[in-house]
Amino acid sequence: MAKATASYTDDEFVAAIRRGDDRALAQLYRLHLPMVSHYVLQNSGTEDEAKDVYQEGVMVFYEKVRDGSLELSCQIKTYLYAVCRRLWLKRLAEKTRFGGRLDDHEPYLETGAEADLLEAEERDRRFATMGEALERLGEPCRSLLEGFYLLDKSMQQLTAEFGYTNADNAKNQKYKCLVRLKKLFFTHYKEEESF
Amino acid sequence: MMTEADYYALFEAYQHGELAAPARTDLERRLSADPVLAQRYADFTDLTSTLSSYGQRLSARRKLRAIQADLDAEQAVKLAADDEVLETGNPQMPQLHISRTEQKLREFWQGHRATMMVAASVAVLAVFTTLLGLEWWKARQQPTQYGYTMLRRDVDRIKRTQRVMNKAINQIGAAPASINPGKFSGTGFALTSDGYLVTSYHVIQGADSVLIEGRDRRRFRAEPVFSDVAHDLAILRIKDRNFTGFGRLPYSFKRGTAELGEKIYTLGYPREDQVYNDGSLSARTGFEGDSAFYQISIPVNPGNSGGPLLDDRGNLIGIISGRQMDVQSAAFATKSSYLMKLVDSLSAMNTLQAYSLPRTNQLAGSSRPQQIRKLQDYVFVVKVYE
Repeated sequence: MAKATASYTDDEFVAAIRRGDDRALAQLYRLHLPMVSHYVLQNSGTEDEAKDVYQEGVMVFYEKVRDGSLELSCQIKTYLYAVCRRLWLKRLAEKTRFGGRLDDHEPYLETGAEADLLEAEERDRRFATMGEALERLGEPCRSLLEGFYLLDKSMQQLTAEFGYTNADNAKNQKYKCLVRLKKLFFTHYKEEESF
Repeated sequence: MMTEADYYALFEAYQHGELAAPARTDLERRLSADPVLAQRYADFTDLTSTLSSYGQRLSARRKLRAIQADLDAEQAVKLAADDEVLETGNPQMPQLHISRTEQKLREFWQGHRATMMVAASVAVLAVFTTLLGLEWWKARQQPTQYGYTMLRRDVDRIKRTQRVMNKAINQIGAAPASINPGKFSGTGFALTSDGYLVTSYHVIQGADSVLIEGRDRRRFRAEPVFSDVAHDLAILRIKDRNFTGFGRLPYSFKRGTAELGEKIYTLGYPREDQVYNDGSLSARTGFEGDSAFYQISIPVNPGNSGGPLLDDRGNLIGIISGRQMDVQSAAFATKSSYLMKLVDSLSAMNTLQAYSLPRTNQLAGSSRPQQIRKLQDYVFVVKVYE
């Protein structure tokens, strides 16, 4: 499926992705995958690891863009490369905890990738905790909240789905669930934070 | 009393702007006044926003996965592969397939490239240094210097003449078997009556065997007894059984230094026949001021090397050695005093073989042709085989 490659400039990419244009996202993804894949393969990684790292890197970029908090001081390509390189080096360090130090030979480029990565890490932790809290919440609360917040279903839809007599009932149930989730989430999150 | 869930309902309504104006202002007032309520509100906001961004994250991940799956599928189609959808690489970067050995070699090369380069250059350097060093050392061994030519005759160069001569001899009929003319030739002369001869060192340098031939075509085999590289002298001894001796030598050896301007002459074999040349002694030092040599103004040619140099009264004063190319008629001869010193030291070392040098001179007083007639039987061709 050779798509007509309407090529975007960096700015157009950012604007399109911010609008939620999935075509632009797909194209961006395609565009820079070879570079990162090559880098990871060159540095004793496998194809799958390369894809993993790349997805994570694109995710960082994507969330910054959707946030509107991205301050790009270089090309997207450079930014993605820097992010993925940091990610991969970190993984390598974890993998070879016993095997010597890892050198980052390449010149340091101010891409803002470092700071963004720290931010992303914090967010990852938060999401992980949230996922865990949702797991523990149990049914039907979990499905209800996931349906409302994660899958963007309307209250009417959910009312029908879960067999509540009316939307108010469902809403009340949702609030109760939220309260329980809050307890699970915050106790957990604070606990982890105190580490 | 409101439960927490009730508060959440209130907060949500507030956020969605569904509250009536008085209720909203009331809530806002309470939020600013009551820190517990404010905290509860902050927690609620935090929770819901985290939830919704978590939802976004999940959907974004799904999108990326879908894109990747698309790519993989595309690649799979491109490869026309049957089922290996997941095993394919990405489309833009074709994988290079290399064997295990080659990979090892590549890694080795990558890792040790610099070291090997250094080793290779050191090796090359060592080889060339050794070769040049050997060459230089060899050059040092020979007393040859720039502009100085040894007068030993390269026989190959004149082989053609030789052949012509052989032909002539054959036509005469008394045909001797074809003679190996040797590789180089020079001149030598008798030192003692019992078979010692003198020639230049460079004539017999590198010789496997040495043959001497007199004017009467008699040949004797000889062997080097002693060589003096620095003064370009060599002493030979005839080792043929049927050699009986030269008879009494007509000339004597001068131990001192000859005078400048003295009339001198030489006999030698620059070609197949004996050749006479004369001149005078022009300097007491040789090439580049070497005090072991005389400079003489005799036209000498390759083949003259090792020939005797005599003065007017028939004293042997030197041994022809070489000439300077860039100077008109400048030839050099080793002083006889050095030959005498050499003979003396050899006699002192080896009492069994005393060198009985001729003491009297039969040439003094006679005319040049008479001198030469007496001398000619004691001057020989020295042929060198390598």
